[in-house]
Amino acid sequence: MDSDIEMELESDNDGEFDDDYDYYNTGEDCDVERLDPKRADPEYFEFDCLTVEDIEKLLNELVEKLNTILQITPSLAKVLLLEHQWNNNVVVEKYRQDANALLVTARIKPPTTAAADAASTSAAAAASAQLLRIGSSGYRTAAATLPTLSSHSSGNSLTTQVQSQYRRMCPVCASSQPNDKFYSLACGHSFCKDCWTTYFETQIFQGISIQIGCMAQQCNVRVPEDLVLTLVTRPVMRDKYQQFAFKDYVKSHPELRFCPGPNCQIIVQSAENSAKRAICKSCHTGFCFKCGMDYHAPTDCQIIKKWLTKCADDSETANYISAHTKDCPKCHICIEKNGGCNHMQCFNCKHDFCWMCLGDWKTHGSEYYECSRYKDNPNIANESVHVQAREALKKYLHYYERWENHSKSLKLEQQTIDRLRQRINTKVMNGSGTWIDWQYLFSAAALLAKCRYTLQYTYPYAYYMEPGSRKNLFEYQQAQLEAEIENLSWKIERAETKELGDLENQMDIAEKRRTTLLKDFFPIIGKA
Amino acid sequence: MANMAVQRIKREFKEVMRSEEIVQCSIKIELVNDSWTELRGEIAGPPDTPYEGGKFVLEIKVPETYPFNPPKVRFITRIWHPNISSVTGAICLDILKDNWAAAMTLRTVLLSLQALLAAAEPDDPQDAVVAYQFKDKHELFVLTARHWTNAYAGGPHTFPDCDSKIQRLKDMGVDEHDARAVLSKENWNLEKATECLFS
Repeated sequence: MDSDIEMELESDNDGEFDDDYDYYNTGEDCDVERLDPKRADPEYFEFDCLTVEDIEKLLNELVEKLNTILQITPSLAKVLLLEHQWNNNVVVEKYRQDANALLVTARIKPPTTAAADAASTSAAAAASAQLLRIGSSGYRTAAATLPTLSSHSSGNSLTTQVQSQYRRMCPVCASSQPNDKFYSLACGHSFCKDCWTTYFETQIFQGISIQIGCMAQQCNVRVPEDLVLTLVTRPVMRDKYQQFAFKDYVKSHPELRFCPGPNCQIIVQSAENSAKRAICKSCHTGFCFKCGMDYHAPTDCQIIKKWLTKCADDSETANYISAHTKDCPKCHICIEKNGGCNHMQCFNCKHDFCWMCLGDWKTHGSEYYECSRYKDNPNIANESVHVQAREALKKYLHYYERWENHSKSLKLEQQTIDRLRQRINTKVMNGSGTWIDWQYLFSAAALLAKCRYTLQYTYPYAYYMEPGSRKNLFEYQQAQLEAEIENLSWKIERAETKELGDLENQMDIAEKRRTTLLKDFFPIIGKA
Repeated sequence: MANMAVQRIKREFKEVMRSEEIVQCSIKIELVNDSWTELRGEIAGPPDTPYEGGKFVLEIKVPETYPFNPPKVRFITRIWHPNISSVTGAICLDILKDNWAAAMTLRTVLLSLQALLAAAEPDDPQDAVVAYQFKDKHELFVLTARHWTNAYAGGPHTFPDCDSKIQRLKDMGVDEHDARAVLSKENWNLEKATECLFS
């Protein structure tokens, strides 16, 4: 404490005319701001939204960096980076260890050549010579690929010119061509220029770009970018090739992901490749950075995929479920749910009940909220296959109904906000508070949507959880969150200005429940 | 049809005609029309396989973009094999799909198919029923494949037991091919086959 006082005194002395020095907001006193956001918020995620140009620049910088270190062509550098998640250090290290192996795994060179054996002792030196040669002298034409394929005489265009009087047969088009029209990769399989070009175009047409391989049988040596772009001259095809290649580059980069929004050109970058929420600054699509699907905490990427596939498969049942109406449990009048809250009040008989379980709301409100928990039949092992199947369906439907219910509520969010706005208008007109007094309701509605979203994704998580104490804990927390959300929803729909404190308290509780659940169960945060 | 495709096919046709295999009568090829877009191939069942002694006819369709895209090949002769559909003759073989290379020829295709007859890949099946039998009841698979070779590809072995069961179903008014297919599928259990046909 002594030091604190000293510091305050010092700062007072420094600011000579600083009369309104804020004793309450000095950085030292403020615990909240000093907290690491990564710890305070389980969903904290740093990312940037970049354009195609930004990314091209970024990738080109990486390529250039590798060029200067290893003295290779950009085309070759791109292939090596693509194969190693764009990690320059890994490429350089592997190159220094065994350049030959690096080139073979990147499919630049065929698996075994004479050069590989010869160079094994002084691998780095020999391979660097090869790299230079492959990189700088382009694709050796036929003359250079004759028997001395791996000799150190480099095949340049001069040699081929001399030999151009000779003609040979191209194994693909079966026609005789002058020698200088032949091109080959490091594997030495040579084909005529026209065949390569047509081949590239058919491959590009099928959406294949950087994965184009040699035309020879059983040969998987890759065709690097510069040869394709040298031979393919039609602008349409060149553009297509470059587009596909760019897509592949971005997809192979662990820190980049295309925004999944329709027609959106933005690429999101983040140093942390985890299943957290990224929001596109251009089209405002929110998605999971790891898998590109809708954000799905606390469920992980594999489980949500399994769940969504299951839901799509069971579309018949889903159709049955999505019948939007239920009967009032007391007076049996048909009720359509048109808003977010599960606390229903029948407009006919004024009976309060829960939309999910159709039970009396009074048993829901305060004590223990049981409605989100699925109760296993304890004797299931002794039952027949038929009963087991029915039980499995029942279990699935239990989770699905709750999942679908929250998803529907979220879809109705805009309507809820519109209704809120209308209600506020009426209130203001009647002289009950000003427009500004009511603004807090919108932030409450936004928080409600956020909580509902998380809650929706807790159901697939619970569905795939093994029964046990952890599942019990999860379902307990889930029930708590569910209860708080319903309270919040109910309060928003019936809020008066004087109840501001109560509502804010409720918001705080709901958000705390949500973050607690995520902190305890969201896998990424658990590991971190 | 593209000039390159025709030129290639003509050359490959010659290659097959001059090959050693044709001398040994293990592969054959002939033209179906004048435009070189469709051919008919024939391969002999490899020795020491259930297909030994049979001749299998193939339909070969050459696409416009040949040789940059693979030829479309299917069995015309009916065959009992995990990687070939017993109904349509469609073939599941990597080189006829993704692993096609422009430098491959009709001769390599025919020889690869012959190799496929000798070494089935039941884990990558075209016909799930056949693949199941291959893995689970291999002796029955060999018997069925031999019987089909005999019935459709002119194979040397006869199977009176199979024939009599087929005859029983024929007497009930079932088409011979349908009877054979159902019996093969039901592991030559006549009761089950009957049930399957008439239920």
